[in-house]
Amino acid sequence: MTLREALLRGRHRPRLFGGGSPTSSRGDGYEFAQLRGYVAGDDTRRIDWAATARSGVLQTRVMLEDIALVFAAICDRSRSMSLGRRRALAEAADDAIAAWFGAGSGEDRAIAILAHGPVPERARAGREGAALAREALRGEPEGAFDPNALLDIAGATLPRGAALLVVTDASAAERCDDVRLAEIARRFDGTFCLARDPWLEDFPLHGFAKLVDVESGERLLRWFGRRERDAYRRASIEREEGLLRRLRRCGWRTGILDESDGVGALAEAFGIPRGAFD
Amino acid sequence: MTLGSPAFLLVAALLVAFGIWSLERARRVRDARDLAYSDLAFLRRTLGERDLPSALLRAVWIVGLALAGIALARPHLMLPVPIHDGAVVLCIDTSGSMASTDIVPTRALAARAAATRFIQEMASGERVAVVAFSGAASVVQPLTARHSTAIAALDTLPAPNGPTAIGDALALAGSLLGQRGPRTVVLVTDGVNNTGIDPFAAASSLGERGIKVDTVGIGTNSGSLIPGTSEAAGIDEAALRAYARASGGRFVRVENASELRGALGALGRVTSFERKSVDVSLGTAFVGALLLALAALAALGLGRVP
Repeated sequence: MTLREALLRGRHRPRLFGGGSPTSSRGDGYEFAQLRGYVAGDDTRRIDWAATARSGVLQTRVMLEDIALVFAAICDRSRSMSLGRRRALAEAADDAIAAWFGAGSGEDRAIAILAHGPVPERARAGREGAALAREALRGEPEGAFDPNALLDIAGATLPRGAALLVVTDASAAERCDDVRLAEIARRFDGTFCLARDPWLEDFPLHGFAKLVDVESGERLLRWFGRRERDAYRRASIEREEGLLRRLRRCGWRTGILDESDGVGALAEAFGIPRGAFD
Repeated sequence: MTLGSPAFLLVAALLVAFGIWSLERARRVRDARDLAYSDLAFLRRTLGERDLPSALLRAVWIVGLALAGIALARPHLMLPVPIHDGAVVLCIDTSGSMASTDIVPTRALAARAAATRFIQEMASGERVAVVAFSGAASVVQPLTARHSTAIAALDTLPAPNGPTAIGDALALAGSLLGQRGPRTVVLVTDGVNNTGIDPFAAASSLGERGIKVDTVGIGTNSGSLIPGTSEAAGIDEAALRAYARASGGRFVRVENASELRGALGALGRVTSFERKSVDVSLGTAFVGALLLALAALAALGLGRVP
């Protein structure tokens, strides 16, 4: 199953389009599904004359319902995403965004939600639109990330039922407003990739160390002993688990974005094998 | 202003340039060592605002800098300084009872050994005299600051014999001591005063002159017979205690050689202290430098391991 199919089948998808899978929902699409005997009321334009001639009975072409999805994404480009042990979280986020927009096909549209509005403003279809949206996200300058403002832009600009991906880290996720999150999840198919704290498993500090906040530039001198590292690890895990619970409660699909595998976050969120993205 | 060696201005300029470069380099190294982190607020929330080791490090750094600065001002402190101008007279009983062997090898030999050690442990500059007494008191060694001479004089102590004239010994000791400085008489005896002037009056007289009399009663509790006699070598402990009290001194009872050594080690010390203004700039600079070195080591050596 592909990410697109998972979106179509997913429980999170609002029922505006009638829901269900592409194989069970048949309509006026372009993709051929099967031939069957003519039933009164069938669109006569769908009668397959060649097949009718071969079989001697009127045959109707059944087409798959043609659903154009809207892939939208909000990606944290703040300095905190430039951190990582061996690889910046921003690179993993880029991978996830590429996989997200790359999942679209046909008439699907791709939109990047930026601080100054959606890009492209009139969503383009296909690979060109996906590449444009991806580049727009990549080109967003590093700076303060306001998740609530971007969720508001998404809410104001995206068509109902759009698939919205948010990629950010825990500090920004903590700032997300629950009411907004629930409202967005009610209107759109929301997926949240939460960037994992690079130091979650083992804080790499021993003894006296100075930390510098990449966002504010503030510096802090502290002692880091075993007790401090253990306390940090526990708190970091608790924070991550708490955020995931909170996002799910608000109706979002969730995945953990590890710096080593951005696409894995999408696989985890949609419950599909990681290999489906390769 | 004129310059004797203007060429050295170039050296000075180079030094300044080097200083600026090294400061900038140190800043870059420090910045590179700092761990970039995304959410200090979370870290503070997790680990708490209090960080005693870092506060201690800062305090050590500040105190070290302050001490180094203070050292430049050449600080002086009023401190008690030991003055080694005191005098001690050792009054050693050489009456017949000192030949008793209840203290090995004999009371007399044990007293001599303890006296030797006492003199050896005296501070340089302190003076010592030795008075021997039995039926009468005699000066074995007048006051001297040459401790080796006094120790040698102990070998000339007469053999134990005769009665015990404690009062005479105290009076003679008093005559040896001057009028100033810390002065002490250490009386080592095993007997009861049985001749000569009143020891209590002599001790009181010394006390009035500011001379302490420390008394050491030597011998086992049960006493023993004086060799060659049927007379018991007892101790008038109450009297010895009274002599000490009358002069502001102390009394100690010893029953073996090691106790005697310990008692003499604790008594008769004449080191006095005088409050003087002492230049502590060297010590202050040393402590300040030590604290700065400790802080630097802690901050650099114990820093994070990437």
